[in-house]
Amino acid sequence: MTDTDSLDAAQKVSLLMVDDELEFLETMHKHLSRKGLQITTADGCSTAIKAMEADPRGVIVMDVSMPGIDGIQCLQKIKKHWPKSEVIMLTGHASIQSGVQGMQSGAFDYCLKPIDTQELVEKIELAARKFLANQKR
Amino acid sequence: MGTFLSKLQQLFFPSAPSHSLEELQQRFLDNYSHFRELLTANNNALEAMAEMEQALLQGRNFSMAFIRAKSTVVAVNVFKMIENLRYVADGKYSALVPAYETIQREIDALLDQGPEPVDGAWVLPLDAVNRASVALSGEKMANLGEAGHVNNVSIPEGFVISSAAAQAVLQQNRLLTEINRIFQQTDSHNLEDMHRRSHDVQQLIQRCTLPDELEKEMYKHFDQLEAKYGAPLEIAVRSSALGEDLGHASFAGLYQTELNVDREQLVQAYKTVLASTYSTRAMTYRLAKGYRHEHMLMGVGCLVMIKATMSGVSYSSSPGGDSHYLDIYCSPGSARGIVEGTKETFLVQVSRTPPFTQRDSDRNNERKACPLTNAQRTLIATTVMDLERHFGAPQDVEWSIDSSGKLFILQSRPISTLFLEQDEPAQQIHTDAQPLLQDGVTACPGGGSGPVRVVRNTVDLLSFPRKAILVVEHPLPEWAPLLKRASALVATTGSAAGHLATIAREFGLPTLLAVKDALKVLNNDQIITVDASHRVIYDGCIKELCVTPATSQSSPMQGSPVEQTMKQVLHHITPLTLTDPGSPFFRSSYCTTLHDITRFCHEKSVTEMFRFGERYRYVKGAAKRLVDNMPMEWWVINLADGFSEGFNASEKYINISDIASSPMLAIWNGMHAFPWKGPPQVSFRGMGSILFQSTRNPGLDPAVRSAMIQKNYFLVSRNYCNLSVRLGYHYAMIEAYISSLRTERYVTFRFKGGAADEERRVARVALLTDLLNEFEFRVDQIGDALTARVEKRSLEFLYSRLQVLGYLSIHTRQIDMVMADSGQQQRYRDTFSRDIKEMLSHDGHRFP
Repeated sequence: MTDTDSLDAAQKVSLLMVDDELEFLETMHKHLSRKGLQITTADGCSTAIKAMEADPRGVIVMDVSMPGIDGIQCLQKIKKHWPKSEVIMLTGHASIQSGVQGMQSGAFDYCLKPIDTQELVEKIELAARKFLANQKR
Repeated sequence: MGTFLSKLQQLFFPSAPSHSLEELQQRFLDNYSHFRELLTANNNALEAMAEMEQALLQGRNFSMAFIRAKSTVVAVNVFKMIENLRYVADGKYSALVPAYETIQREIDALLDQGPEPVDGAWVLPLDAVNRASVALSGEKMANLGEAGHVNNVSIPEGFVISSAAAQAVLQQNRLLTEINRIFQQTDSHNLEDMHRRSHDVQQLIQRCTLPDELEKEMYKHFDQLEAKYGAPLEIAVRSSALGEDLGHASFAGLYQTELNVDREQLVQAYKTVLASTYSTRAMTYRLAKGYRHEHMLMGVGCLVMIKATMSGVSYSSSPGGDSHYLDIYCSPGSARGIVEGTKETFLVQVSRTPPFTQRDSDRNNERKACPLTNAQRTLIATTVMDLERHFGAPQDVEWSIDSSGKLFILQSRPISTLFLEQDEPAQQIHTDAQPLLQDGVTACPGGGSGPVRVVRNTVDLLSFPRKAILVVEHPLPEWAPLLKRASALVATTGSAAGHLATIAREFGLPTLLAVKDALKVLNNDQIITVDASHRVIYDGCIKELCVTPATSQSSPMQGSPVEQTMKQVLHHITPLTLTDPGSPFFRSSYCTTLHDITRFCHEKSVTEMFRFGERYRYVKGAAKRLVDNMPMEWWVINLADGFSEGFNASEKYINISDIASSPMLAIWNGMHAFPWKGPPQVSFRGMGSILFQSTRNPGLDPAVRSAMIQKNYFLVSRNYCNLSVRLGYHYAMIEAYISSLRTERYVTFRFKGGAADEERRVARVALLTDLLNEFEFRVDQIGDALTARVEKRSLEFLYSRLQVLGYLSIHTRQIDMVMADSGQQQRYRDTFSRDIKEMLSHDGHRFP
C-alpha cells in the first residue's frame, strides 16, 4: 500500500451524490466535475438505489435528512447490497446520535453543512482509496 | 507436569496464531489501513476540541449550532477511533464502548436540554405580579408589578399572559420541535438565511391556534378592564420574555410592542408579540449574547394605554459616570419616539437627592429648552430614586405623565451599561485630518473606521458588509442585527436613551447620534473615521482614533447560558486524565472524557502496530537497527512503504539512505543539525536531586525494562513517522503524518519526565513550551508533561516543525538538572532559539 499524494483514487472511482436540495446538487456537480471527478446525482433514496442497480458507484455522498426514505435508512440499504461502496453522510442538522448511527450503519465519514468543499473532496479521496483497496481483495 | 508447564507457557507466552506469509502480509496491510484511519480521526477530533476550547478561552462569539457541530465532529471521530483500534487489536478493549456511550449520553443530554417546564396560571392580573413571579410573568412585567408595590408609585392597570401560556401554545401546535429543527439548520453567519428562517417561524406562530381556555381567560381579563375604564378600551401589548431586561442583557426594543389594541385585535396582537421571540433582531442579539433560542419563553403584558402628555426615560444614576446626578430624557407625547430615536429628545440632569437641583451645564442639544416643569422634574426624580432604593441598583426607568399630571411607570430595569461623560463640546483632536462633521450626541464612546453604508430598508440590511460604518436616518431597533457587524454607528436623530443606543453600548460599538447632516454629507463607500467620544467624523481612515470603548464588556457571552452549556459539554470532552501509559490506571475502563479515549486509542494502536511483527513473527514487520554513529540505539519498523524499494526485508540493519519516510528524515535532519554538546555541568545540589529522584521512581532506572523504553523506535511509512524516544530520563514522542491531503496532516509532540526534582522538570517543560509557542505549536502543559501540536498546515511548514522537534529531542536532554538557575534557563533558551532559526534558514532540506 502506498500513500498517494493526489486525487488519483477519487478520479478513478465513480461518485454518486444524493440530496433533495437540487440547487445544492447542481453546485456540487459543477464543482466536483471541475476537479476531474466522475459524478452523477440523485434527488432521493429510490433514485439512488435505481442508479446503483444500473451502475454501482464506489463512493456515495448522501444527505441524512431527505423526505421519504431518510439518509440513514438509505445508507443501510446501500451497505446491505453494495457493502464495498463507501458512503459519506452530509447533514445540516448536527446531532451526535445521528452521526454515530450513521457510523454504526457503516458510513465511511460524516460531513457537516454548510460544506467545506476542500474537506469534502479530501474525504471523497480517502473513501475512494478505501474502496479501491477493498476491490483488490 | 509437561502438560502443566505447556499450559503455563501458553498462558504467559501465547504462541502466534498460525498464518501463511501472504495472509500475514494482507493482515499487516489491513491493520496499517485501519491505523491510518484512526490517525486521521484522531487529527480531526483533536482539531475540533481545540477549536471549541479556543472559542471559549478567547471569548469569541459562538452559537449552540457551533457547539453541536463541533461536539458531533469529536464524537463521530472518537467512535471511528474505537472501531479502528478494536480492528487492529483483534477485538480487544471492549470496555471502551460503554465508556464512550456513557459520555455520549451525557453530552446529548446537555445539547438537547429543553426549557424548564413552567407550571402556573396562564393569565395573571398585573397587581398580583411581583419579582417572585418572574418565571411566569417574565422579567419586564415582574419588575413592573414589583414597582407597583412601591409607595407612591403608579403603574398602568393590566394583566399578564404568562410564559406557561406561551409554552401551552407551542405545545398544542407542536411548534417546539419544528422551531428547533428550523434553527438548527440556520447558518448563523448568514443574515439572509437567518431572516428567511425567522420569517418562516414567525409565520408558524401567527397561524397557530390558541388553547380555548387561554382565549377565554384573555377576554375575561380584558372585559374586566373595559368594564372599569369604559368601552372601547385600548391596551398596549408588550413583551416580557424570560431573561429580558437583565443588567447585562437588556434586549432593549428587540421584541414587538403593539399599541392601541382593542378587543378584536387582542389575540392577533398576542401572537405577534409571541412570534417576535424569533425576530431576526432578537435572534442575532441572542446569538451575540449567548442565549439559547429554544429556552426563550415569552410572557406578555397587556396594559391600559396612558394618554401621555409627556414621556421619557430616566437613569437613576447618570450613565455618564457622574454618580451624583440622575438623567431625565423627555419629549411631549408617548415614549415610543424617544426609545426608537425618531423624536427630538431633551435631557435634564438633576442631583440625586432633594431638592433635585438641576445641573448647571449645557453640554449639547439634548439639554436645551427642557419642557418639564419643576414640579414634574421633582416628581420624576423622587420616584426614580424610590425605585433605585427598592430594587437596590441604579434603574433605567420609562415613564409617562397623563393629562391629569399623574406619573405612570411603564418599565424599570437595571442599567445595562455605563458610558463616558461628554461635557465638552464636539472637539477635533486630530489636527491633520479633515473633519467632515462636528455634531451629535455620544451614545457609546470610542472610534471606528471603514466605508460608509447607508441602510434604509431590509435589502440594505441584508447586504451590509462587515466592518462598514452603519449610517441611518433613525436609530431604530430593527437595525440591531448590524451592530455586531459594523465598526461604528451614525444616525441623524436619536439620543443616548434610545433602545439601539443601549444595545450599541452593550456591544461596545462607537455610536454617534443626532448628527443632523450625516445623510447629506456621507456617501456610500466613502472611507471615514467616526470619533464618537469627541463627536467628530473625519474623512479617511485614522487608525489612532479607532479605539474600543473602555465600557464594553470583555465578552458579551460571559456567563451566558450558551457559554455555560459549552463549559458543561467541554467537561465531558477535553480534560485529559489518562496521561501516563505506564500507569495501572491507563485502561479503557478509566476513560472519563472523549479526550481520554483518543489518548488511549492512539497509544494502544501504536503499541499494536509496534508489536505486530514480533507477535506474528512477521519479518517485514520486525524492527531493523539503524546504522548511525550516535551513542544511542535507533530501531525502525516499516509499516508500509517507509523503506527504499531495493532494501532486503530480511536484513537486521538499515542505513539512513534506505529510509524513504519523509517525516522521519526531517526529524533525523533536526537531530543532526548541530552536534550535542554533552550533559550540562551539574552542581552538587543538582546531582543530589537526581539521585534522590532515582531512588523514588523506578521508572527512572534504566535497568527497568519496558517494551518501548530501552530502545528508541521509529515506526514509519512513506508519509508517517512515530518516534518513541527515551533520552536520559525523559520520555518523548514525535508523530507526524504528512500527506498531500490537508485533512490527514499533523505533527504532534509529547514530552514527560526527567531525572531532576519536580521544580526543575517543570522548568524544562516551561522552557520547551516557550520555544514551541515561538514556532507556532499549540501547547498544553500539565506539570512536567506537555503536548504540542500543529495540523493541516503547508507541507513545508510541517517538515520544518519536525526538524525543530528533532533538534529539541536531542538538545534538551538532561538540561533539567540545571533548570534551577534562571540565568542558565535563559542561556539555553537563547541558544536553542538561535540554533533553530539558523537550521530553518538553510535552504536545500526538502523531504517530500
